[in-house]
Amino acid sequence: MNAIQPPDERSDQPVLLFDQVTKIYPLPAGDVVALDHISLKVYPGEFIAIMGPSGSGKTTLLNMMGCLDVPTSGDLLINGSNVQDLSDDQLTWLRRDTIGFIFQHFNLIPLLSVKENVEFPLILKCQTEECGLKPYEVLRAAGLDDVQLYTHKPSELSGGQQQRVAIARALVNDPDILLCDEPTGNLDSKTGKGIMDLLTTMNQNGKTIIMVTHDATVAEYAHRMIQIVDGRIA
Amino acid sequence: MIFVDFAVRNLRRNWFRSLLAIIGIIIGVLSISSMGILGNGIVLSVSESFTAVGDSIVVSPHAGMGFSGPSAAVTNDRLSEQQIIELSRAVSPNKVIPIYTGADRVTYGNQKGVASIYGMDPADMPTLVTVKDGIYLRGNSGAMIGSTIADQLKVKVGSKVILGDGTVLPIVAILKERGLGFDINPDNALIVSRQWFSEHYNVKGYNQAIVKVTDLNEVVPVKQAIEKRFNQKDKIVDVYDTRSILDSILGVFNQISTFTTVIGGISLLVAGISILNIMMMSVTERIREIGIMRSLGTRKSEVRWMFIYEALILGFIGSLIGGVLSFGGGYVVSLFMLQTTKYLFYPSSLISIVYGMGFGVGISVLSGLYPAWKASNLNPIDALRYE
Repeated sequence: MNAIQPPDERSDQPVLLFDQVTKIYPLPAGDVVALDHISLKVYPGEFIAIMGPSGSGKTTLLNMMGCLDVPTSGDLLINGSNVQDLSDDQLTWLRRDTIGFIFQHFNLIPLLSVKENVEFPLILKCQTEECGLKPYEVLRAAGLDDVQLYTHKPSELSGGQQQRVAIARALVNDPDILLCDEPTGNLDSKTGKGIMDLLTTMNQNGKTIIMVTHDATVAEYAHRMIQIVDGRIA
Repeated sequence: MIFVDFAVRNLRRNWFRSLLAIIGIIIGVLSISSMGILGNGIVLSVSESFTAVGDSIVVSPHAGMGFSGPSAAVTNDRLSEQQIIELSRAVSPNKVIPIYTGADRVTYGNQKGVASIYGMDPADMPTLVTVKDGIYLRGNSGAMIGSTIADQLKVKVGSKVILGDGTVLPIVAILKERGLGFDINPDNALIVSRQWFSEHYNVKGYNQAIVKVTDLNEVVPVKQAIEKRFNQKDKIVDVYDTRSILDSILGVFNQISTFTTVIGGISLLVAGISILNIMMMSVTERIREIGIMRSLGTRKSEVRWMFIYEALILGFIGSLIGGVLSFGGGYVVSLFMLQTTKYLFYPSSLISIVYGMGFGVGISVLSGLYPAWKASNLNPIDALRYE
């Protein structure tokens, strides 16, 4: 594991900075406070596990980090850009270029083959379908060496293989941050361990990884653990 | 182009639904184009039936000045020689052709019929009619016969026809078919000299005068000059320019044509609604997929275009097939309704197919706009959670 310094002792710029971030969802039955004055810094190369009971605000926090949602109040800076100053298109570009998502349910596009799923974010970025060897490189890096699988549809793969494809897809644009929402939640323990080893390797290669999990064993892979309770950092 | 590829793949994934939508568009384009072809065929057929005599102004005694029933051998309302001279002065240097008009029974052998009789100066005859067989009438004896009545009575050049009062009239020429006209209708007529007409039917004064205008731009000023000369105080004569009559008749048929096309357009509208329905289903089924795409960095506009491409592809394929089938549809409808298909390849008919195809694509894209807008505005978080 890398020797990561405690956040308050670091001098470099955080890749993610939450400053008094609050997120309120207005509902007919009354407002729901999902995040309540969260302040948090995430530095390059960190591996963070976010834990907490259901409904505590973990996924909302992850969605904010992924520019899928914006704060109701407070400041959220990603690589120095305040997300509240960005248009929808700018948020989309920031998400595409800076962040890779890994979901519990893999979320591969069923219409596309393995290779096409991995190519997709690259095509969005380059606006060309000439992707070169990059998709093959990340697929191999994600532990999928069998080239014959690349033309298969996601439904023809095992859960572990699908998650490796999802990791390859998350890596293809070489993002600074990998956001993982229960990455082993849908896998057996052996396959889950393989995925966590892979994420550890990615982190050792310099990727910042933020992972939401219920599983304490999985959380042990992280360098820092953040507990969320009722929308606050405990 | 990846979003075009997405659109194609999604249409193929739901191929049966896509096929039904395409069939809807085909039917819509087919009906709108076929109705357009039929309407255009009607207009062309009508305009061909009337002789295009845009250079003529017809002057006749005002309709309220007297009455002549269909049974009369010659009519009663007349333009006098003096009025013809005044008319010639008013329209000078344009030519005035005074005409006697009547009708009579005509018999040849066992064949009997009724024909219009036109009396005019033999020198003016080549201006108004064309000889198909024989020679133009010279002098006072004899007559030229229109092609329709000639066919009906089986008359040839040199035949002698007998009028209602027993008068024998040798035929010197059979005329070329001219179609219906607003000045004269020679196809079902005998053309005689005005002197013979005046003496035979014992009439003085003409039923109408045709002014041949040399410059088409002069039609309106000449018409105004006639009105000024004759109708200053009372309305003495009626003045029609043949182009405006033809234009108003064609205007009516054009309206009929537009109406039939609109009827055809209703089926295209229904097809558009079915595309809207299909696209809405497609959006609902793919909410999660849209969420994934958005989370990976797909812009709203790219999602929007993906659905518009789907509608465009459905519309394009449907319109293309519908356009090709419209030739067949137009052929059948024209054959059934007009008994001829000769108008099918006229540019004005072919443009109906282009319009039909254009509407097909347009309606499809319009139908896809709302689903596309809805898909692009989905909240990515809600979309990702959608089960």
